[in-house]
Amino acid sequence: TAGIRIFRFGPCQVSLSMTEIRAGFNAIKANIQARDPIRTLSILSYPHSLHKVQSSDRCCITHQLFDFYVEKVFKHCQTEDSSINRKISSIANSFLSVKRNLGQCREQNKCTCGQESSEKLKQILENYEGLNVTSAAIKSLGELDILLDWME
Amino acid sequence: SGELSCSLPNPRNVHFESVNMKNVLHWSAPAGTGDGVLYKVKYSVYGVGKWIRKPECKNINRTWCDLSSETSDYEEQYYASVKAFLHGMCSDWVETTRFNPLTDTKIDPPMVSVSSTEKSISIILTAPGKWKKSPEEESISLLQVYPGLQYNVSVLNKKTKKRWFFSISNSTLVVPWLEPGTTYCVSARIRVTTPLLYSRFSKEYCIATLKDK
Repeated sequence: TAGIRIFRFGPCQVSLSMTEIRAGFNAIKANIQARDPIRTLSILSYPHSLHKVQSSDRCCITHQLFDFYVEKVFKHCQTEDSSINRKISSIANSFLSVKRNLGQCREQNKCTCGQESSEKLKQILENYEGLNVTSAAIKSLGELDILLDWME
Repeated sequence: SGELSCSLPNPRNVHFESVNMKNVLHWSAPAGTGDGVLYKVKYSVYGVGKWIRKPECKNINRTWCDLSSETSDYEEQYYASVKAFLHGMCSDWVETTRFNPLTDTKIDPPMVSVSSTEKSISIILTAPGKWKKSPEEESISLLQVYPGLQYNVSVLNKKTKKRWFFSISNSTLVVPWLEPGTTYCVSARIRVTTPLLYSRFSKEYCIATLKDK
């Protein structure tokens, strides 16, 4: 399929339909971000940007982030707009398969987790739990491009 | 002190217009206000608490404000906001949507230079540079910003009107097996796969292959 990107994290390799996900996100971005009135907090980037993450932990953090989105974000992002919901579930399905592939890498010890990844995940969860679930999920979904930009 | 009443209609269509990451805030005057409206501008980095005023855009009567310098870190995302003033009245602050310089900028076409031999033409393409504060500042090519950047090149035989399309990642292309003494016209555009960004096609650059000796 057009727009399939192969991401290599050392011995671990996963493919992701990045163009499809980006297109899906662009279609819902304005709607979802408009539902998030909180400018002063970013789930993914506060207090430190994802871009500061050391490369050695990228695989583990990527897996943790995909797990976070599958388990804590997509399922809490139901809107009253069915077309928005369809786009969200399409993105969720793409994330689910990548989460599984990265999970297999971790089982095969191809995706090591260091202190930095656990600290980063802890920070993200703290930011997430600082809001009510729906607000936190919508804000996280509105930040999907931050994750995609960082991955690329 | 003259307390301002904020009953003035709001500025409209407040949005960023961005080309090669030169990020300029634009808006339209409030409906029905005519001349004399002044504006203030502030901006904020998404996820960071405070709004920051833009002094160079305080009490201005134009309807744009260059925030390129303030939004030059493309790993961040931004909001900007505008407030209008007229005859002791003011409007509300009106915000943009969240602005992501990486995905929300437009890209200019590449620069194209062509040369020819008897049976081939050589094309050199140069991606535009990211906006920079001053000419002395080091140039950053958009190629560095978008590693997946590619060029779509169109080559037209002016005589036969036959056209070829090429998609290349590096910046040089040699088109062989051409007809001597014939004019070919080249045009190119930039394509970034993700985030999906296209430039316009450049204008056409025509060159004739050398005549047979």
